[in-house]
Amino acid sequence: MAFNVLIVDDSASMRAVIKKVIRVSGFRVGKYHEAGDGIQALEILSAEWIDLVLTDINMPRMNGLELVRQINADEMLRSIPVVMVTTEGSEDKIKQAQALGASGYIKKPFLPEDIKMTLSRMMGEEVEDEIVHEEEYETGDF
Amino acid sequence: MRSSMRKNMKLAISDVLETMFFQAVQFVEEPLSIAEWFSGNESLNIARLEFAGPVCGAYYLWVPSGLAAVMTANFLGLSEDGIDDQQQADTIKEALNMIGGHMLSHFDEQGAYQLGIPEMLARQEGMAPVGREAGEIFLCETDVMRLAAEIRLQ
Repeated sequence: MAFNVLIVDDSASMRAVIKKVIRVSGFRVGKYHEAGDGIQALEILSAEWIDLVLTDINMPRMNGLELVRQINADEMLRSIPVVMVTTEGSEDKIKQAQALGASGYIKKPFLPEDIKMTLSRMMGEEVEDEIVHEEEYETGDF
Repeated sequence: MRSSMRKNMKLAISDVLETMFFQAVQFVEEPLSIAEWFSGNESLNIARLEFAGPVCGAYYLWVPSGLAAVMTANFLGLSEDGIDDQQQADTIKEALNMIGGHMLSHFDEQGAYQLGIPEMLARQEGMAPVGREAGEIFLCETDVMRLAAEIRLQ
């Protein structure tokens, strides 16, 4: 079953990287949606069917922790798993995100396997053991 | 504190550049300023990321354009030819964001520090003001070119 993903990060480059990593991990994604901050993310969530949210914490206008809090406070949205993908790695921040309703936490810098394992757990998907290498990865060490 | 700060910062720079940008980093321990480290003519991308907490300050990252193009290509999985200035700037800011956050996560278990939003600077903005000591400087070499980082405390 394909699922729709919302990627929230104020860095367009990081959104592109996360999207690419999900794609080569073998997950069947129907649609990718992108947002640059929490406010834009909520607008997308109110208009589109989203199965999974991956969000940074540190963003302008509305940060990722506030976004998680608002998703969890909304009856229609609270069943959507939210995974934090962030440089903020302190135990305190992780606990704060969990208390607000985050389902998972991935620290930057990350390997593709980090995204793959977390998404497997979130979505109950089984994917192939090996990362599928697209042509642009031939020179990389992913 | 200084030695643990330097150790954590070096670890963060290495981890981030190797994991996300496939750049192996060697640190050079020479008493040089940032201006002395670069030849003076290369075009430099300079990013700043402020942090606040028990101690306040900012991280800086200096990346020559040639290295920025390579890092961006590696990060995004694109060829260097297809990269624009905005993508390069975005990549450098994200690199600094990851370095700063990764460095803080090594000692900030209580979450007492807050990171700002990374921003690009003009060259003169990135240099320490005249008469003010530079902060902790990290001079690095990759296979491609040099880069530098700095932590300045208020």
